[in-house]
Amino acid sequence: MNAPRRTEPDSSFFLPDFCAGSMALAIVLIVELVAIVISLGRQAIHDNFWVDLACTSMFLLWVGLGCAMVLCRARPKLARMSVVHASLGALLLLIGVVGIVSEATFQLGSYLSGGLAAELEIFPEHHAAFVFRNIAIGFIVSSLALRYFYVSAEWKHTIELEARARIHALQARIRPHFLFNSMNTIAALTRSNPAVAEEAVQDLADLFRANLSDARQRISLREEFDVAKVYQRIEQLRLGARLQVNWRVDSLPMDAQLPSLILQPLLENAIYHGIERLPNGGQVDIEGSYDGVSIRLQVTNPLPVNERTAEHNGNKLALDNIAQRLELAWPEALQTAGMNISQDNGQYIVQLRFPYTPRSHTAS
Amino acid sequence: MRLLIVDDESPARERLRGMLGELGDCEVIGEATNGNDALHACATLKPDIVLLDVRMPGLWGIEVAQHLATLEEAPAVIFTTAYGDHAIEAFDAQAIGYLLKPIRKEKLARAIKHAARISTPRLMQATRTANLDHCREYVCAKLADQLKLIPVADVYYFAADQKYVTVHHKNGEDLIDEPLKDLGDEFAAGFIRIHRNALVAEKYIAGIERDADGQYTVRLRETAVALQVSRRHAGELLRRIRG
Repeated sequence: MNAPRRTEPDSSFFLPDFCAGSMALAIVLIVELVAIVISLGRQAIHDNFWVDLACTSMFLLWVGLGCAMVLCRARPKLARMSVVHASLGALLLLIGVVGIVSEATFQLGSYLSGGLAAELEIFPEHHAAFVFRNIAIGFIVSSLALRYFYVSAEWKHTIELEARARIHALQARIRPHFLFNSMNTIAALTRSNPAVAEEAVQDLADLFRANLSDARQRISLREEFDVAKVYQRIEQLRLGARLQVNWRVDSLPMDAQLPSLILQPLLENAIYHGIERLPNGGQVDIEGSYDGVSIRLQVTNPLPVNERTAEHNGNKLALDNIAQRLELAWPEALQTAGMNISQDNGQYIVQLRFPYTPRSHTAS
Repeated sequence: MRLLIVDDESPARERLRGMLGELGDCEVIGEATNGNDALHACATLKPDIVLLDVRMPGLWGIEVAQHLATLEEAPAVIFTTAYGDHAIEAFDAQAIGYLLKPIRKEKLARAIKHAARISTPRLMQATRTANLDHCREYVCAKLADQLKLIPVADVYYFAADQKYVTVHHKNGEDLIDEPLKDLGDEFAAGFIRIHRNALVAEKYIAGIERDADGQYTVRLRETAVALQVSRRHAGELLRRIRG
């Protein structure tokens, strides 16, 4: 789903787009600054700083804009290569541009030998030394620039990943469907049973507090169970006897740490896609087991007959999200943290497993 | 006004009943907790208006409304929904009455005042607009005053004669009041047109035979029926069965 689209194949490529007008402007600016630095720093070949600056900027502008033009043209091709190949390719192109411009400058100099140009000594004298020196400088500067582009692209990529993780966490949150149904239930209860309505409002507040906290942080198993039970109480008001939840989790170490909102969305799924669709409701089983190393949690719910083969997109997304967050929470233990989904005899079974991590270990 | 409340959640029904009691001129003549009960209640109680929850177990609210529309004295329908995603936009576009839960009393009063029958084409249009990709789970036959629901999964084939379409299914045959073409479009995924006048469930096809004249016939599972395949539809049929 997050694969780059065909229309913008290079959005993830590390080289920026040199065809843009703003980029040309930036290059001119940088070139001028560099030219000033060079002219200031070097012991004047001749007395006139301005002539020196003019020559240097002239030369560097040709190099800078030439490089930009070449990269602008070559970018689509480079974008299709691996990072190493693209970097080498770009480097060769840039050195080529430097070499060509240097050579052209020297040739122009020898063509114009004599007259004012010679008098001002604005053209280089030693052919090979001039060209090779420039190529060496070009090689170093291009390498540094490419390295810079690569690092900044990586940095941008990391930020994007972080943002995506945040979105995943957001998506794990409660369905709007549930919110509005709960509001409706509470509206009904305020008429018939204000005391229960009051409790429902408190439960809803707790649930949303848990939901609005950062879903990337870890909480204890006990806290996660509490959130799921609050959710269950609210749904119970709405669905009545149709909803039965059977908890068999007493053998689990309640101080185990896990990413928040892992179990509650599973219970929500079981109700949304299972219990709620069954005219007579059904039972959700939440079972846990612990073998001293890792914890297994299993949520089982009956499915309506016509849903048994169909895989729901929304459901799939929610489950993928949980699986991804589990795997991200224990990246070093891909074998032991994860999710397994199966169907058996009209029952939908989601199994989670993750290593037992007591609080002290995560407080690093 | 005589109203029927259809919702699978008891607090929701309770609240509607309470509000309708306060509106005056509104009499709740019954409640139903699912789509099937709702259809029976409509046929026997003949309400003026049905307040119909969209998301219910079993028959979906929109499908209930489609079946209701076939009744001669079809009631007006007002949909109620907590959060309807695409369905809401489609209702809006088709000017189909709906209320968002928790329902406001003023909006309920206004909806009742303007409640109207919803025609099948408009509902179909709404489901298409919503891109719900929903085809009915039942077809509906009328028996005197009752609606009889036939699970589409039980249908062997639909056969058209001059005026009616006969549904041949596991528990017999019934007449329904829908053109074969519409049925073919709606159930395109599981049914194949084999003749101008026959639409056959793919999963019940036992075999295809060809006689000396090149005429194809389809044999169906569980029944002894053999149906003629027209020359025009033979190619498509063979492609689908073999493909």
